[in-house]
Amino acid sequence: MIPAINIVFLLLIFFMIAGHIEARNEQLQIPQSSSEKDLETQDVDIQILANGSYVLNGQETDVSLTEALQLLTLSSESIITLHVHRDLPASSLDPVLKSTRQLGIKRLQIATVQQP
Amino acid sequence: MLLETHRRPKQLISLTPLIDVVFILLLFFMLSSTFNRTKEISVSASSGGQANQESTTVKVLITEPGVVRIKGYEYPINSAALNNELQAYAKSGDKIYLASLNHIRVQEVIKMLDMAKTYGISNLSLSESVSP
Repeated sequence: MIPAINIVFLLLIFFMIAGHIEARNEQLQIPQSSSEKDLETQDVDIQILANGSYVLNGQETDVSLTEALQLLTLSSESIITLHVHRDLPASSLDPVLKSTRQLGIKRLQIATVQQP
Repeated sequence: MLLETHRRPKQLISLTPLIDVVFILLLFFMLSSTFNRTKEISVSASSGGQANQESTTVKVLITEPGVVRIKGYEYPINSAALNNELQAYAKSGDKIYLASLNHIRVQEVIKMLDMAKTYGISNLSLSESVSP
């Protein structure tokens, strides 16, 4: 029994680390803040990578962000989570702000890490 | 011919696997505690429209890294003058639109958002960037 539990835990840790490494790649270093509020995953997740590409719910968008968001059925109560690379210019946020405004979405969460 | 006469009583859990499991549990909790370090800053995304009649709107523009312009005056971030301004807006409940010039880094925008939040400004909206 114990070796079985052992292996299950090892596998769990392995996948957690693997996922963590994938999420923290060089293309996406999220900005720092002193915010204490924990990020809770919401219905829509947008990532803006260092090369300027937009990733919507894990899939790179070929069409414009507004069109891609329109395909998802969102209400004005939907909350968009935004993971943005910290060294990008502020203009890279514009498509997100524009499409959220067009879709009437009220709240936007920007993911940050705590300052070391 | 069986020579073994004395049989050990069967242990329920032997020591080595037990230590193994305990170590793995320790590792698991150590790692999981560092995982949820992702925090968030919420901003209102819609601009205009349903603004409160009583509160006025203030535009804050980040012109350079660490410098903001409010009503034509430039303030360095962390200056006493800016702190006073932000405290006044927090008290009056004015709606703040934060914009920045389009070459400003996202980190600078977040820094300003963060600062506004620490002064208790809740009525905060992020606007699109402005070309210089």
